[in-house]
Amino acid sequence: MDYNFQFSELWPYTNLIVDGLLWTIALTLITTILGCLLGTLGAAARAGRNKLLKHLVGAYVELIRNTPFIVQLFFIFFGLPSIGIKLTAWEAGLLAMVINLGAYSTEIIRAGIEATPKGQLEAARTLGLSRVQTFIRVVLPPALQTIYPALTSQCIIVMLGSAVLSQISVQELTFAANFIQSRNFLSFEVYLVVALLYLALAVLMRQLFKVVHYYAFPNLRARK
Amino acid sequence: MPLVNIDNVHKYYGDNHVLKGIDLRIDAGEVVSIIGRSGSGKSTLLRCINGLETYSEGGIIVDQMEVTDDDSQIRKLSKSVGMVFQHFNLFPHLTVGQNITLAPKLVRKLSAEEAAETAREVLQKVGLQDKFDSFPGELSGGQQQRVAIARSLAMRPKVLLCDEITSALDPELVGEVLKVLETLATEGMTLILVTHEMNFARDIGDRVIFMHQGKVWESGEAKAVFANPQTPELQTFINAVL
Ligand SMILES: Nc1ncnc2c1ncn2[C@@H]1O[C@H](COP(=O)(O)OP(=O)(O)OP(=O)(O)O)[C@@H](O)[C@H]1O
Ligand SMILES: [Mg+2]
Repeated sequence: MDYNFQFSELWPYTNLIVDGLLWTIALTLITTILGCLLGTLGAAARAGRNKLLKHLVGAYVELIRNTPFIVQLFFIFFGLPSIGIKLTAWEAGLLAMVINLGAYSTEIIRAGIEATPKGQLEAARTLGLSRVQTFIRVVLPPALQTIYPALTSQCIIVMLGSAVLSQISVQELTFAANFIQSRNFLSFEVYLVVALLYLALAVLMRQLFKVVHYYAFPNLRARK
Repeated sequence: MPLVNIDNVHKYYGDNHVLKGIDLRIDAGEVVSIIGRSGSGKSTLLRCINGLETYSEGGIIVDQMEVTDDDSQIRKLSKSVGMVFQHFNLFPHLTVGQNITLAPKLVRKLSAEEAAETAREVLQKVGLQDKFDSFPGELSGGQQQRVAIARSLAMRPKVLLCDEITSALDPELVGEVLKVLETLATEGMTLILVTHEMNFARDIGDRVIFMHQGKVWESGEAKAVFANPQTPELQTFINAVL
């Protein structure tokens, strides 16, 4: 192997990489919050009494989970303008990510809700709580505790999936990598560095989720 | 007018005729124990009283409210009828204090301070005033059940339904829960208990209902029922459990 590694050639592009990284972080942060919110509403609808809503959400979940993310993205960015909905690249990208995470987290959170012991519902009913109160105060918090690891993983998958947004020229991390590579042809160096940055982001996210977990669920800290 | 009026109640699970015409009148302040073999319909009857189960025939009136499975009716009933479960059913993510104040705040519309005040008072009653900020998972089974009783009491019910509330406890923890019930009984709380604690039923209870095959087979003053069972079924049951 006589390839001459030239990592130092990347220095001039530091700004681009940092900008890309910040875009990726921003997209991920907003997506995580909105996507999990959407997932919670979706799961509530799936658990609710409204048949129509239940089936609509079911169809949404199946549609998203059984089509490629890149097709969803292209549909939103290239397809929707045909019916008059024009979005900028990053708006389309964000929307695609939120819709995607929303579908997956609907399924994940629903599983947590279904694991609610019957006794919890009976206690809530006996105490006179309404259905909405029971859902928000009694069912949801333990459900989120139960599925927290799965939700964490899904959010990380969506973060990694944001690389696809480079295809519609959202200037996130992978877009920056592609751009640099097209200038200096140092594919090995560029993609290795970017891969390590994604890895670092994923590790960081996992840690952040742990911190949130610590403060959100104090009962799991308590010991006998 | 009795506090609880059960009139010819029938209940089916599919083809299974579980309650076969139950008639029962319970006055305010009475302590009534329901005993009987497994599957005789004790839990079902208790759960019909607060609308957790529907019944197919007859009528139940509690505190002048008809028991139906209508949601708003159940919410109204919850202010008069409390229930304590075999497996406590405390909310694991909430502290003891939050468990107790939740319904008074949401349903009785008490302010946070009023609810906390109520919580401290009912915790005092079950002897756990120092556990306000603990989580259920940090408590023993007996303590959890006492918190569950406190949580029910915070709604100021007129009658408390208890379904085998000591059955899931280690034997050494049963006493502390029975003691709380005894205190409530002496304070005049109306109690309807499904129980396997025959000594408690005999010594603390006013009245005993023996259920058999979905019917009130025999009933009467607590001590008399145990001393002079009138039917062979009750005789057999008493021999088996005492
Ligand atoms: N949810 C249900 N679905 C179908 N059948 C039920 C249900 N709950 C109870 N049953 C049946 O109803 C009958 C009465 O049950 P119930 O739980 O009231 O008895 P129990 O007297 O409380 O018994 P145990 O002492 O075991 O608690 C039994 O035959 C039981 O199998
Ligand atoms: Mg039972």
